[in-house]
Amino acid sequence: MRSSVMVEEPVLLLLPFSSDWPIRIDSSPCLSQWEVGSALLENMSPMKLCVPGDKLCSEEDCIPGTGVYLRHGYIYSALAGYVLKKNEGEKRPVISVVRETEAQLLPDVGAIVTCKVTSINPRFAKVQILYVGSTPLKDRFRGTIRKEDVRATEKDKVEIYKSFRPGDIVLAKVISLGDIQSNYLLTTAENELGVVVAHSEAGAQMIPISWCEMQCPCTQAKEFRKVARVQPEYLQA
Amino acid sequence: MAAGFKTAEPLEYHRSFLKENCRPDGRELSEFRTTTLNIGSITTADGSALVKMGNTTIICGIKAELANPTVDAPGKGYIVPNVDLPPLCSSRFRPGPPGEQAQAASQFIADVIESSEVIETEDLCIDRGKLCWVLYCDIMCLDYDGNILDAAVVALLAALRNTQLPEVTVNKETSTPEVNFEKRHRLHIHKHPVGTSFCVFDDSVLIVDPTAEEESLSTAQLTVVTDEDDRLCSLHKPGGSSMSGEKLQECINRATARQREIQKLIEKVTHSVTTAQ
Amino acid sequence: MPTDTKRVRGPEVSQSPVLFGCRPAAVLPSHGPRADGRQRDQADVRPVFVRCGLVSQANGSAYMEAGSTKLMCCVYGPRETERKDETDMKCGRLTTDMRLAPFSCPVRGSWIQGTQDKDLSLMLYESLQPAVCLQKYPRSQIEVSVMVLENSGSVLAHAVTCASLALADAGIEMYDLVLGCSLCQDAGSYVVDPTYAEETSCGSGGGLTVAFLPSLNQISGLQSDGEMSEETLTAGVRTCIEGCYKLYPVIQQALIQALRRAAPPPSES
Repeated sequence: MRSSVMVEEPVLLLLPFSSDWPIRIDSSPCLSQWEVGSALLENMSPMKLCVPGDKLCSEEDCIPGTGVYLRHGYIYSALAGYVLKKNEGEKRPVISVVRETEAQLLPDVGAIVTCKVTSINPRFAKVQILYVGSTPLKDRFRGTIRKEDVRATEKDKVEIYKSFRPGDIVLAKVISLGDIQSNYLLTTAENELGVVVAHSEAGAQMIPISWCEMQCPCTQAKEFRKVARVQPEYLQA
Repeated sequence: MAAGFKTAEPLEYHRSFLKENCRPDGRELSEFRTTTLNIGSITTADGSALVKMGNTTIICGIKAELANPTVDAPGKGYIVPNVDLPPLCSSRFRPGPPGEQAQAASQFIADVIESSEVIETEDLCIDRGKLCWVLYCDIMCLDYDGNILDAAVVALLAALRNTQLPEVTVNKETSTPEVNFEKRHRLHIHKHPVGTSFCVFDDSVLIVDPTAEEESLSTAQLTVVTDEDDRLCSLHKPGGSSMSGEKLQECINRATARQREIQKLIEKVTHSVTTAQ
Repeated sequence: MPTDTKRVRGPEVSQSPVLFGCRPAAVLPSHGPRADGRQRDQADVRPVFVRCGLVSQANGSAYMEAGSTKLMCCVYGPRETERKDETDMKCGRLTTDMRLAPFSCPVRGSWIQGTQDKDLSLMLYESLQPAVCLQKYPRSQIEVSVMVLENSGSVLAHAVTCASLALADAGIEMYDLVLGCSLCQDAGSYVVDPTYAEETSCGSGGGLTVAFLPSLNQISGLQSDGEMSEETLTAGVRTCIEGCYKLYPVIQQALIQALRRAAPPPSES
């Protein structure tokens, strides 16, 4: 058993201010000088770091990308991150500010999301959105898959309980941000969308056998689902 | 896609680690997170301490005030501990009055103080029947990553050790108290109670010092509080799956070992602060 | 006073020993250098220490010390809004919660959020809201909570700075950082970034807090109380802006440092 008690020399938080802290007023270099030039990056051009409100360049030099905004003909940074310039075959490069994590991604119309079914009723299934694309969401957002959005054909014959069960992991696409009463509206009306992971009543992970059925490897029992044709890039553990 | 597995099936994810006798953060089952302690950093408080156990951060500030003792206990002062879980420390807490968890934690701390006799309330008496000290021990969580009870007990104990009360004399003529802030004395700490928390996974696997995620997935939780004489001060097991006597004994043994480590840490930090002054 | 059943209660009345001090508190100098050696009538702010990203649970956080004022701020979200109304469909909502810890002032405060905390929360909201690109976060809310651990003066100004740092650390899109600076008028002169003692001793004079967007050169929040003549007010605002510019490089550096620690630069491909 390792001892885990330790006196950390300066416990950073709440240490009374002392004069040898690295950050002090009036000894700080001008911001534009901040560039990364570590040994790791020697063969790359140094990348500039910026904070919100930094003026990056004129509108004539670059096309604004993400994480930036335009004001009076100049492009300013809206994020604290790395300045990234990309040439995409156009005359001017696209300038963006990127962070290591796209933590603040929100589900948007047209985005493919991974969600978990929380409850079902005859009219719709309620889900929690876990991922947008391959980026996990830090806070859970709720969504709804209505009966008419489960599949593209024979919409009137859809039965929710033959399509989803609580606990299923579902791939879906955002069709609307919803209105005041509702949450995000999602659809699974595409071959690639639908249930990707489901557990049988016996508790085992089931194997898809057709677009509408899955089978339990233990009991061989078949259960109905709206199964997704799994694409390799969304394949989960 | 390990990250996907973690979010979608957190329980299965944890089980896969426990099977190998380790935990997702790389700890062994009976291993604590690194505990760090900083005392006396809040100068507006009469005593303060900040404890970090892994990510979990708890601060305790003690403010002493003057009050009249109660009629039934004229020779005793008061200790008023309160635990607050502000919305700042985790997204699960909302602003407003304390929630159930905070209320339960406050009561737990109050019980520990009473049963362990960490401070004798008689020591807080200034003038019998007329004047005594009230120690307001405000414990606040700044970063909630599980096991707040252990951290809160350590923070409270260290803050009490750090507390210095000014000298009070009662003026005979006007019978009003006079406080001399230049002359301060330390509190007398009788016992050093230290808590050790456990979580039970799937009714069988026992882990120590759980993180917030482990707490939410576990089937039972248990906190054992012991002092330096190996006396059991408090045993808190709010429901959950049942537990065998041997397992419980194992927990108590682990808790007494933990008490030694923490007391040593508090001594060391208190010493380093007093020599620095 | 209604009884509080959700907390451990103490005696009904208790008084702070500060009221019974046998020696009167030291009188602060009303002219010449200030008690801590700083100059009057100049943007002489206290040294600050800032650090981002200390709280594991939050999307963004910042901790700040200015003199012995200590505060921390956490940002949660964007997350689903709890209350929904028509405006949330197009743009996000910013909520602020600012509290003073009970042990943060010389006299113990209450756990129950007083009017002071609510006023501070509101002023914090008004100072930050113009800087955040809320239209980028439809249907969601961004929660900012500030906890003052030790109040040694100018808490609102530092809370604004700290909160904008935490927002930037959380990766919330903003037009600019927001910096805060305050001053107190004391007889004929004014003191910038006053300490708690200075704030309370110049009760008759006015106080001023400015929230400033340094890169856009705009003021997002201005709060003034007490008596102040027009000329001193404009001069005071100018001095506060000067104080903000002194803070600016420190804040930028803290953010850059946090970014460096968090991740190496992404490849340019």
